[in-house]
Amino acid sequence: MAKPVSVLRLPKGPDPNSRGFDPKSPRFIALCRTSISSSVASEADPELLQREQHARSVLRENFLQCLVSMTNRKVQFHMHEKVKVEATFGASDIDVLNFQVSDLHTPIGVQKEALIRSQDVISVTFDV
Amino acid sequence: MMQCGWPLLGPLQWIRYTDKQVKVKAGKQEEHRGWMVTVDPVSASVVLVDFSEAGASVRVVMGHAVEEVEVLQDADAETVQRLRSAFVLPKRPGLGPQELRTRKGDIRCWLEKNRVPVEEEVDKLKVAKVLTITAPYGPEDCCSSNQIILDRIQRLIRIKPGHPGPHPETDPDERF
Repeated sequence: MAKPVSVLRLPKGPDPNSRGFDPKSPRFIALCRTSISSSVASEADPELLQREQHARSVLRENFLQCLVSMTNRKVQFHMHEKVKVEATFGASDIDVLNFQVSDLHTPIGVQKEALIRSQDVISVTFDV
Repeated sequence: MMQCGWPLLGPLQWIRYTDKQVKVKAGKQEEHRGWMVTVDPVSASVVLVDFSEAGASVRVVMGHAVEEVEVLQDADAETVQRLRSAFVLPKRPGLGPQELRTRKGDIRCWLEKNRVPVEEEVDKLKVAKVLTITAPYGPEDCCSSNQIILDRIQRLIRIKPGHPGPHPETDPDERF
């Protein structure tokens, strides 16, 4: 396995958070909705709300199982401009905005630990 | 960035797409087919599974990248079963009580040999009073709030002769 490259410290961008993770930045607010709220129709109808919430929890639980099965597996991230990188999946945050990975193979070398923004990813593939 | 309506459909619409074969258009020109397992209600990400002789390959398409989702066909009962069990973690084969007792004894001896203070508490092993090992006494069965001791004991169990070797993908670094 290739020797990991040392962590690069790129020049800082504009303050305060130059690397796109600041939750108050206009870009973040425009692109990263942290949750999708319940539908307007369900607010008026409690029975509809209950069905919607049930569907929501079934869908989310299945998705979390998928994430758990990805843990410690080699996965491929398909990103914009046909970029494809492989890494060992660590974890996702609760809003599925960032992925923590290890041994990220990039064209400039292997990054031992990295955080990938979900906005930069189109799809993730792996085999079970 | 133009966003199509997919993330806005909501759980009651999304759930109708599950257990169906779909064609998903993503990014600029990508098109993926597969059986839809689920949609994450938080990010609207779509989980697709494709079955082949080798096993199953999974693709998670991020919600923000989904352009279009088209239903191709429903899944038959057999496919639904396969989809249900795609992510269920395989249970380890059960060990009988005699084998468990032997295993517990082996692990206890190995720890003592490595000068680790260990006591037996019914069917559990207690290490230095801060770490507990439950059946079947593998590295994943160790439980402790002390991260350093947890790490040391897990590594120790992994290198025990006779224990199935370290998994290359999760243990690239065998230094203590």
